[in-house]
Amino acid sequence: MELTLAQGIAKAAALLGAGLCMGMGALGPGVGEGFVAGKACEGIARSPENASLITRTMLVGQAVSESTGIYSLVIALLLIFAVKI
Amino acid sequence: MAKKKKPMLRIFLIFFVIEVILVFLSGNFNRELEIGFENGKFKIRHVESVFNLQEKITEEFQIDEYYKHHGETPKLWGSEKLYEFFRSIPMDSTPVGSFQLLRMLLIVDIVLLLLALFIRKFLTRRPSKSQILFELIYTSLEEFVTETLGRDKVYYTPYIVTLFLFIWVCNLIGTIPIPGFMEPTRNLNVPLGLGVLAVVIVHASAIKFKGAWHHIQNYVNPKKNPLFLLDIVGEVSKVVSISFRLFGNILGGAIIILVVSSLVSFVVFPVGLNLFFGMFVGTIQAFVFTMLALTYIGVEISE
Amino acid sequence: MIFNVEYIQIAAFLGAGLCVGIGAITTGIGSGIIAGEGAYGIVKQPKANEQIFRTMLIGQAAAQTAGIFALVISMLLIYGITFDAAGGWYKAAAYLSAGLAMGLGSIGPSLGAGYAGAQACKSVARMPKHGNTIMTNMLIGQALSQTSAIFALVIAFLLMFSVPNQPEGIGVGKMLVKSLAFIGAGLSIGLGTLGPGTGIGFVAGKACDMLGRFPNEKSKIMRTMFLGAAVSESTAIYSLVVAFLLIFAIK
Repeated sequence: MELTLAQGIAKAAALLGAGLCMGMGALGPGVGEGFVAGKACEGIARSPENASLITRTMLVGQAVSESTGIYSLVIALLLIFAVKI
Repeated sequence: MAKKKKPMLRIFLIFFVIEVILVFLSGNFNRELEIGFENGKFKIRHVESVFNLQEKITEEFQIDEYYKHHGETPKLWGSEKLYEFFRSIPMDSTPVGSFQLLRMLLIVDIVLLLLALFIRKFLTRRPSKSQILFELIYTSLEEFVTETLGRDKVYYTPYIVTLFLFIWVCNLIGTIPIPGFMEPTRNLNVPLGLGVLAVVIVHASAIKFKGAWHHIQNYVNPKKNPLFLLDIVGEVSKVVSISFRLFGNILGGAIIILVVSSLVSFVVFPVGLNLFFGMFVGTIQAFVFTMLALTYIGVEISE
Repeated sequence: MIFNVEYIQIAAFLGAGLCVGIGAITTGIGSGIIAGEGAYGIVKQPKANEQIFRTMLIGQAAAQTAGIFALVISMLLIYGITFDAAGGWYKAAAYLSAGLAMGLGSIGPSLGAGYAGAQACKSVARMPKHGNTIMTNMLIGQALSQTSAIFALVIAFLLMFSVPNQPEGIGVGKMLVKSLAFIGAGLSIGLGTLGPGTGIGFVAGKACDMLGRFPNEKSKIMRTMFLGAAVSESTAIYSLVVAFLLIFAIK
C-alpha cells in the first residue's frame, strides 16, 4: 500500500502527536505524584503511629493524580493504532 | 580484634578473576567467547563479534520470530531435543508462544522448589546464613502485613511472601552469565498475569469482608458514588501501572546491558551493570510490586 | 529526490549539540544547589566539615550521571557512527531524535538528584552522627531518580543503532510517517522523564530531610520513599512503552 503525500503527512502528524502527547502528559503526573510522596514521607516521620493510614492516603492520591497520565497513554495508543488513513 | 570481612569485595574479585580468564581464553578482542550447552554437551566456541543490534535484539527477545524467518534456531543454549519438545506443543500461533519464557519459568519454579526443600531440610535452632536471610524476608513481610491489614488478617502473609520470592528470583536469574538466560519478567505476559491476579485478589477479599452487593455498589450506583466511571478507569489503571512498572524496569535494564556489552566487546564492564540492574533494581521492583499488592488490599478492605 | 550524506551529518551534529547543551542546563543547577547547601552546612556545623564535604562530593557525582549520559550520546553521535547516504531520512531523523531524547531526558533527573543531594547536605549538617545513613538514603534516592534518565538512554541507543536504512524507491508519504515516528519516540521519552525525575528527586530530598530530623523512624521513611518513588515512575514507563511502539511497531 503506497501512501500519497497528504495521507503521509496526516499519519506522520498522528505519530508525532502521539509522542508529544505521552511526553507532555507524563510531565504533570510525575511532578505531582512525587510531591505527594515527599509530603507523605514528611508526615510519616512526624507521626509514625499513623504510618499505614498515611501510606494508604498517599497511594490513593497518587492513583488519582496518575489518571491524567493514563488518559495520555490511551490517547497516544489510539493515535498510533486507531488512526486509519 | 577479628579481621573484618568484606563479602562484596570478595564476590567482585571472584567475578573479576573469572572474567579475566574468559578474556584471555577468547584471546582476541574482535571475537567473543560463548559458553553453554549444545546438544547436551558442554561447549565453548568463538563467535565473530559483528555489531548488528537489530539482529541481536531479534535473537535475544523474539526467538520464535527468528525461527520463522530463518528456519533455524539462533545460537541455542539448552538441549536441541527439549526445544523441539516445547515447539511440538501447538502454541506458536498464540501470543503466548514463547519457548524461552516457558523454559525460564520452569527453571524459576525448580529453583524455588529446591530452595524450599533445602531450607526445610537444614532448618535448625541456630540458623545458618541462608536461613537468616529467608527468616528475615518472612518476618519483615509478616510485619508489613500485620501493620497494613491488622493482626487478625495475618493469613495473607504466604501470598505476599510467595509473590515477593517469585518476582525476586525471576529478576535475579538474568544475572547468571549464561547466554540465553533471561528474566521471565522481561516478557509482558508475566507481569500482566501477576497484576491481574493481584487485582482479582483485592476484589475477592473486598467481597469477602464487605459483602458482594456493598462492594459492587461502588462501581454501578451513581447515587452512592457519583464518580463511579473514574473508579472503573482507576481499576484498569491499577493493573496497567503495576505490571508495566515491573516490565519496563527489567526490559530497560536488559537492553542497556545488551547494548553496552555489544559496544565494549570485552566482558569486564557488565559486572557493575548486572549488579545495578539485576540486584538493585530487581530487588526494589520486587519489593514495590509486593507492597503495592498488599496496600491495594488494605485500601479496599479498610472502609 | 536527491539525498546527500550531508543531511545525515547535519542531523547528527545538531542532535549532538542539542543533547549536551540541554542536558548541561540542570546538571549545572543541580550540582550548584548541592554545593550551596554544603557550604551553608559547614558554616552552621564546622566540626562536621569532612562529613558534609564528602556527602556533597558524592551527591554531586551522582547528580551529574544524567549529564554524563548526554555527553556519551553526543560523543557517539559525532565520532561513533559511520555516515552513509544509504541511510536516508530514516537515519537522519533517528540521530536527531536520539540527541533530543537524551538531552531533554536528563533535565528532570539531574534537577531531582540535585534537590535530594542538597537536602542530604542540610540534614548531615543538622545531625552529623547519622551521616552514613543519610548518605546511603541519598544515594538510593538519586539512583531511583536516575532510572528515568536510563530509560532515555535506552531509547537513544535504540534510535542510534537499531534503525534500519531507508529502503530504495520508497514514497514520500511512507518516508514521512517513519521519520516522524522516530522523532515522536525521542520527544515522548525525553519530555516524559522530566516530571518523574523531578518528582522522585523531591521524594528523596524530603526523605533525607526527615532522616536528619527523626533518625529513629528510618525503616518507615525509607519504605515510604521506595513506594512513592516507584509509583511516581509509572508515567515515565508509559512514555517508554509509547516510544518502543513508535520505534518498532510502525510498519
